[in-house]
Parts: sequence; structure tokens; C-alpha cells
Amino acid sequence: MASAALNEQLASLVDSMYQEGLLDEQFQQLQSLQDESNPCFVMEVVTLFCDDAERIFTELDRIMSQPVIEFQQVDSYIHQLKGSSSSVGAQNVKLACVQFRHSLEENDSEGCLRALNMVKREYLHLRGKLETMLQLEQRIQAYDKQKK
Amino acid sequence: MEELKEEEEEELVVVRNDDGDDKVRILVVDDSPLDRKVVDMLLKRSDGLFEVISADSGMKAMQVLGFNEEKSDFPSAKEQKIDIILTDYCMPEMTGYDLLKAVKEHDCPRSIPVVIMSSENDPQRIKRCLAVGAEDFFLKPLKVQDAQKLRQYARLTGPTPKTGTKRKLSVDMMSETESSARRPRLAGVAVA
Repeated sequence: MASAALNEQLASLVDSMYQEGLLDEQFQQLQSLQDESNPCFVMEVVTLFCDDAERIFTELDRIMSQPVIEFQQVDSYIHQLKGSSSSVGAQNVKLACVQFRHSLEENDSEGCLRALNMVKREYLHLRGKLETMLQLEQRIQAYDKQKK
Repeated sequence: MEELKEEEEEELVVVRNDDGDDKVRILVVDDSPLDRKVVDMLLKRSDGLFEVISADSGMKAMQVLGFNEEKSDFPSAKEQKIDIILTDYCMPEMTGYDLLKAVKEHDCPRSIPVVIMSSENDPQRIKRCLAVGAEDFFLKPLKVQDAQKLRQYARLTGPTPKTGTKRKLSVDMMSETESSARRPRLAGVAVA
């Protein structure tokens, strides 16, 4: 597939992600920081975000499965996830984390479980799109490298 | 002493440090690898103004600064010549606030400027940090304008300024006029 068509596909995907609220202007800032000397910057940041998120979900699953839930620990982890999603521009994940923290204030276990599932859903939805985006970027880079 | 003349374009007189370069040596302290990476790139892409040294904890930062008597993998503070510290507030064991206090208590008469960053817009937290001597408090994620402010807050470390060494920075490197923006503090004014 020609580079132009791939670029168009990528632009369309990223545009839809912004429209859907999956990404915000922070992601645009990350894209603007990437250049020829750091062609993998966005991919590296996204990878760090995903690793961080999945580590946090593992910890949260463990805490939430305890007979007595340590809400302070849960809050700490959600605070971390909110921070990293904000840093990467993952808008909907960040908003879901904000909602989660509201549920925590009420120490409501059922509410927290629902909120956690919502955060996971938003994250998995975003991750799928980011994976497609990165695959397209890699194909474009490989194609451009071949042309040179 | 040479008088600064009023010109159409504002002039920032920068005194070169001992190494002869104008780069600001900034110590970035954050326990999040993701945030360190993003801030690192933001600063490095700011017209080459910064040389970034990173630490993943307050304790590591103390080692870099030479405040810790323990053996360190890092060169001493004097070799590192840190011009400014940018630290996250929320870190385990030693918070950014703890680090700020340690820096302010340690260096006299001129302490290294410290800027705090946090994802929480907490007025109490901000007030607390500014009261102890933080130069500013940035909300994460950092923006390009924040990098420009850092440049202004930084002081070039080193001995008494040499004569006849100055250069002009264009006005677009100065931050926009905001309530929290401050005039850069100069190590000295170059004389002819």
C-alpha cells in the first residue's frame, strides 16, 4: 500500500480518536515532540503508559478482591493512573479515573467495582486503537526507509 | 557598570558559565518513568536550552546534589552544577516538598531554585510550596511555556561573571506576562 494511503489511514484514525474523546491536546503535544532524531518517542511513551496501566490494574484487582478493601491504596493507584493518562493525553481514561475517585469518597465497594470496570473498558478501547495507530506508523516508517 | 539601554526589543543579559555554554542544567525528579520521559523530551526540544539530569526519587536527587553523605553513583553536586530543580510533588518516601525544604535549608546564601510540579491543582499544596521558597508550581502535564519559565528561574552557577561575555536572547524566549512569571535573576551584569 502506498505511503500516502497509509498516512491518510493514520490521519483518519487519529482524527476519529480525538473526535471520540479518546485523546486530547496533550497527545498532540507528544506528537509535536517527535521528530527524525526521536522517531519512536510516541511509541515509547504509549508503551510506558500501557505497562503502567496494566501494572496498576493488577494491583487494583488484588486489592479489590480482599475481604476488606483498603480504599486509600485504591485511591493512590487511581491517582497514579490519572496522572499517567493525563501525561499521555488519554482523555477518557483520565475522566473515568476522576469518576472513580468520586466513588471512593463514599467508600462504596460496589460503586468502586463498577468504576474500576469502566476505567478498564476505557483503557482497553484506547489500547486497541493505539496499537492500530502504532502499527500504521511502523509500516509508514518502514516504507519510507525502503524508499530512501 | 554598563547601563542596559532601552531598546525596542527587550534584552536579557546572560552570563556564560565556566564551561562557556548557555545551557541550563536542570535536575528533573519524578518517580514516574513516563513523566520523566515526557518532561525530558519537552525540555530537550526547547531550543537546546537545557541539559537534563534525571532522578527517580527524592533520595537520588539528594545524591546528585551532593547533600547525601552516602557513596553515590552520581558525580558530586559541584561537578553537576545544577542550575534549577524541577520536582514532582507526590513521590514515595521523600516528597517533592521534602526535597524543596532540604534544598532551601542546605544552600546558603544562594540556593538552587526549585519548581514543583503536580497533577493536582490543590491550593493548599501550592501555598505550602511557595511559602517554603518554591519558585513556581506547575500543573502537569507541562507545556512549552513552562519550559520557558524554567529558563528564566534558573541561575547560572559558577564564580563571578567574566567581563565582556554577554549575548542577547530574543523577546520570544521570554515568557508571556502572567502573574506567576518572574524576571530572570542574573548572576551579574557583564561589564565592558
